[in-house]
Amino acid sequence: MKIIYVLIPLSLMLLSLAVWAFFWAVRNDQFDDLDTPAMDILDDDEGSADDQETEAGDR
Amino acid sequence: MATLIHSSGLDRYYDFRDALPERPDGVEAEAGRYAAWDRDAVLDFHTRRDGNDRRSIVLVLENVHCAACAWLIHRYLGQFAGVSETRLDVGDGRLRLRFEPDRTPLSALAAALDRIGYPPHLDTPDSGIDRDRNERRRMLRYLIVAALGMMQVMSYALANYIGAGSADAGGGMDPETEHFFRLISMLVAVPVALYAGQPFYRSAVNHLRQRHLGLDVPVAAAILLALFSSVLITLFGQGEVYFDSVVMFIFFLLLGRYAVMLARQQSGAVHSALARALPNQARRLTATGSEAVGLIELQVGDSVIVADGEVVPADGIVTAGEASVDESLLSGEAEPRARVAGDAVLAGSLVTGGSLQLRIEKLGSGTVLSGIVELLSEARRRRPRLARLADTAAAWFIALILLSTGLAAIYWWQTDPASVIPVVLAMLVVACPCALALGTPTALASATRGLALEGVLTANPDALEALPRITHVVLDKTGTLTEPGARLVEVRSGAGLAREEILELAGALERISSHPIARAFGPFDRGRRVEQAENIAGAGVSGVIDGRRCWLGRADWVAGCAGRRWVEPGDGIWLALLVEGGDEPAWLRVDARLRAGAQALVARLKGSGISVVLASGDREANVASVAQALGIEAFHAAMKPQDKLALVERLQREGARVAMVGDGINDAPVLAGADISIALAEGAAIARTQADLVSTGRDLNPLAVLFDQAPRVRRIIRQNLVWALTYNLGALPLAAAGLVPPWAAAIGMSASSIAVVLNARRLGKTRDRRPPARPAPRAALETA
Repeated sequence: MKIIYVLIPLSLMLLSLAVWAFFWAVRNDQFDDLDTPAMDILDDDEGSADDQETEAGDR
Repeated sequence: MATLIHSSGLDRYYDFRDALPERPDGVEAEAGRYAAWDRDAVLDFHTRRDGNDRRSIVLVLENVHCAACAWLIHRYLGQFAGVSETRLDVGDGRLRLRFEPDRTPLSALAAALDRIGYPPHLDTPDSGIDRDRNERRRMLRYLIVAALGMMQVMSYALANYIGAGSADAGGGMDPETEHFFRLISMLVAVPVALYAGQPFYRSAVNHLRQRHLGLDVPVAAAILLALFSSVLITLFGQGEVYFDSVVMFIFFLLLGRYAVMLARQQSGAVHSALARALPNQARRLTATGSEAVGLIELQVGDSVIVADGEVVPADGIVTAGEASVDESLLSGEAEPRARVAGDAVLAGSLVTGGSLQLRIEKLGSGTVLSGIVELLSEARRRRPRLARLADTAAAWFIALILLSTGLAAIYWWQTDPASVIPVVLAMLVVACPCALALGTPTALASATRGLALEGVLTANPDALEALPRITHVVLDKTGTLTEPGARLVEVRSGAGLAREEILELAGALERISSHPIARAFGPFDRGRRVEQAENIAGAGVSGVIDGRRCWLGRADWVAGCAGRRWVEPGDGIWLALLVEGGDEPAWLRVDARLRAGAQALVARLKGSGISVVLASGDREANVASVAQALGIEAFHAAMKPQDKLALVERLQREGARVAMVGDGINDAPVLAGADISIALAEGAAIARTQADLVSTGRDLNPLAVLFDQAPRVRRIIRQNLVWALTYNLGALPLAAAGLVPPWAAAIGMSASSIAVVLNARRLGKTRDRRPPARPAPRAALETA
């Protein structure tokens, strides 16, 4: 059972990582628009240079 | 315990109250962030001068979510020199502030708002969006922390439960490991609860500061109580810990809060859609060409060019060019209208098929668009009667909760000390009267939004609630049942005047009249000078042209002025034009078509048992024919505005509740006298009407929608209040009896708030436009 003294602190580190990742996502507008990205796939246009640039930026 | 919270809260309140105004240095330091707001250009664009040194401004505030916020802001800002009015629209966080920049600069007031937790934004088109996004993000962060924290703490708790279970079976967790799990739970739960619970603590403190038992007071008390008792137990004693419950109900409460916030932001969307109608920049003409300037740089008298497809930046007069102008946003009128040199155009309308050169007359907060936005905001700042009632009820209810929780705690302490904390938690949370407080304002906000999309602007939300109780509707004829623009259809010359001369005189005379009929003569106005002009409401106009007095108006009035008697030469609306010295008048016949939807509206009203009365200044025969065409039995002809008012007052004395429908300008006194006033207006007139409800379309269908919707509004408000009361009164005894575990209490409270908000949102839905010809069957279905 001694292993929990290692595993639980590890889970806490993962927790803080998850919190950090979500905060990062909120800060970078990932949750601002939850409706249009789903529609993007229906858009046949290749996308303007501007679109591609922002996509690259997000990655 | 209730007294404990109470007294400690109040002590704090005094600390804050004494401390805040005495710390100007802090305010000044923060004022730096808003220093730009004191610049003249900003003040000129965003504020309106009210008399000498006073200005009024609208600020968009963050974090506003309850009526008590209005109280706090009012109280706090009122302490600054020169602040004479603070009115807050709790619905969308817009604050109207009247202040004197010379005594307290705007930046200081802004910093003050920031300090008490309501960061202000200038009311630019995007400010609402920015503010909403900030709020959404903050809420999302709390929600995420609470969700992740909840998952962790619950997994530790699960280990404990399983350990406890197997302990009975002989196995079990050794005390050391159990203690370790508790410590770890505490390590996660305490920071999570302190961080994610902030919205509740803040609002509770704000309420207590002003000696008010806000909705969040019991919630915050419950969270902190559970948290700290669990910490004490973990560190020093024996017993149950509630870390999992605490984090879980923070999560559920936040979820409810988030849903309510999204709904509120959406109901503010029409408002910002209007505000957003203005372009970002304008093209100003200079000596050498044109330059792009920000709206804030424009000045009255500037010439700007608006190209095809662009939006007019400010109210102005066309100086060159011609184009169609789409004013649908302002007037609900779908069809673009042609505008040429000399015509007025309004900020926010769209230029199509051509370009225009304008001279700017009104800017920023002086425009009609801003007047309309102001009209809508004014409505939202009014606290509806029912909402005020619900607030008072909620405050009493909170006192009741605190008291009964105290009693229950004493009872359980004596019978079963172990369940004191869960019972207290459940009671504090389950009984929070959030749904009660949300029921009315959310319903009215959605209804206002839904109606605005149909073309009815609500200036007074109380009117929506009162509309279903109406027994009589008094309709004006000219300009209300008939289209506002009359057409001249026939001219019979008399007294030797040529047709052209008659038209020119009529055009000049009617210039001073605002009666809908006068519009028929607009095209014939050649700009002849009219002296000693007089406009007699309900009769006609007179004036001296080329040294001769002329009368134009109702036949009996003109005849009376000349001391003779005449009869109209036939059916229809005839105006007599008499020039001094003439024996016979010239006759002009104007015709105004019935508005589309008039028939359906009257049928709809009669169908729901409302008496329809037609009151017109026109003569008997015409009024009778319109009344007959529409199936109205009660009609009154040849009425001056004061006669109409007398009629409304007589009906009211007989016990009727009267709604008056008029054109808003000519009928203003009658509208003011009625229980509910409904005006039909377009363009610039919208902002000038003093009516409770303003219909902006050209046809009467929006009114039919209004009369359909009003009973639904009332029904939904009732449902909300009944549901909230039933839930609260039912849940409290259950929780006191120890039958509701804390987690169920949190879910119950959030669910009741969400249910109320979702119910209210049904009013905001735009129903697919019904065919205008047959509204009755569907209306019948809906009221059934």
